[in-house]
Amino acid sequence: MSVSEAPLAVTQPEKGISADARSRIFNIAIPLGTAISLLLIWQFGVRIFEVPNYIAPAPSDIIAVFREDFPLLARNFWPTLIESLSGFFVGNLAAILIAIAFVHSRTVERAFFPIAVFINTIPILAIAPILVLLFGPGMTAKVLIAALICFFPTLVNMVRGLQAVSPQTLELARILSASKSEVFWKIRLPSSLPFLFSALKIAATTCVIGAIVGEWIGADVGLGALIIDSTFNFRSPLLYATVFVSSGLSVFLFVSVTVAEKLIVRW
Amino acid sequence: MDGSATKKLEGRSIAASLSHASVKFGNFTALEDISLDIGAGEFWTILGPSGCGKSTMLRLVSDLVPPATGKVEILGKTTEAARLAREFAFVFQDATLLPWRSALKNVELPLEVGRKRGIDVPRGDRTPKELLELVGLSGREDALPHELSGGMRQRVAIARALVCQPKLLLMDEPFGALDEMTRDRLNLQLLDIWKETGTTILFVTHSIPEAVFLGQRVLMLQALPGRVKEVVNIGLAYPRETPLRETPEFNSYCGRLRRLLEEC
Repeated sequence: MSVSEAPLAVTQPEKGISADARSRIFNIAIPLGTAISLLLIWQFGVRIFEVPNYIAPAPSDIIAVFREDFPLLARNFWPTLIESLSGFFVGNLAAILIAIAFVHSRTVERAFFPIAVFINTIPILAIAPILVLLFGPGMTAKVLIAALICFFPTLVNMVRGLQAVSPQTLELARILSASKSEVFWKIRLPSSLPFLFSALKIAATTCVIGAIVGEWIGADVGLGALIIDSTFNFRSPLLYATVFVSSGLSVFLFVSVTVAEKLIVRW
Repeated sequence: MDGSATKKLEGRSIAASLSHASVKFGNFTALEDISLDIGAGEFWTILGPSGCGKSTMLRLVSDLVPPATGKVEILGKTTEAARLAREFAFVFQDATLLPWRSALKNVELPLEVGRKRGIDVPRGDRTPKELLELVGLSGREDALPHELSGGMRQRVAIARALVCQPKLLLMDEPFGALDEMTRDRLNLQLLDIWKETGTTILFVTHSIPEAVFLGQRVLMLQALPGRVKEVVNIGLAYPRETPLRETPEFNSYCGRLRRLLEEC
């Protein structure tokens, strides 16, 4: 298309809706339409082939659970939310502080980095029973499991972020005779923020997984406990509803971190 | 070697002086036996083949690398004392702005740091806001670096360098990454700033026309090891304007420097 034709295409009126608005509606309509179609296929597939409710519940059965068993879901939602959030803060705070120690001292890094890698290689499913044995059936073990699962990605990203300062910027700091703490607060820490937020986005979803895994091992309340309970009692619609609540919690935490990033990392 | 630069002229005060200075990185000699006096208020440009130690020379003067032998003085002080007194400022090829700070906050950075090292940070006569005006960026104080063009970012970096009113401005290919039109415009602007502030400028460049257009003297370095090849005085009167670039005198200086560069 030649350049002279371009304005024609742009100014052509499309029944009052601009091309920009149309493409925005399209961007929402396509994924939404796909999701609704899949749900309909699921709904009618289950009904047409007469799949028993306990093997695969229809979406309408799951919606019914949300309506009837809402207090049960809510009662089990709060402990998991608290464990996930506590684990998120504990794990990330530990990772940030240890990353700062690593960047300031090569010796500390050499001493502790192999241990951090080793802990990260232990499957979370294997370490969870150990922590439950150590800390009992209360919240502590779940918080620690959630913290552990957040820890490593944040550590690695934070170390990279604190080191992601160009040599020229460090030369500038030297010419300005900046002290070590000024370099840290004014240069290293802000430049690590984009890296930190990538890690926090990972942690926002994994901390929920950590809390649920912890609840599987030994808990009376929480979404993890509800998943185990509904599975053993063949209450599949409740199981599915719990799974949706769990992923909803992850999405909520992920979106919160993304919004915080938009507000803080403006560059 | 042209004697006029190394000989101390009567009544000429010296901004920076190097005597038999050399720089070594391990076994590699980056600079060897450099002796120079740079007069206060002068505009020097530094040319030379790549790897001749142009940048190293600025880093030697700015206390980023120590001399292996010889002595470097700025306004009669050691380079460290001059650094602590903020006698000089550095402009890098890359603007090295902090991306999370606005243009104005970037210019203010030198005023915020250094106190912990016991520096009594000198405030220039011009406020950071006035300096942004001086480099033609009034109205863009709140813009973040990524919202500015490459040329604008470099102008913010120049304003930042001027904020403590340095006696010596060290510039390491500051316009090297810019397109030619922007570079020519910034050359004119830099000459204005030089006239306004009266600061001494040491300006490293790869471009022969840029070296001739800006400098009173061109320091030609040769490589392996880096040493002074020649100092060429540019006898073109200021103020220098764009039409100067087309005059025979300008081009004959360019030709002479090109031949010198080929000998290096």
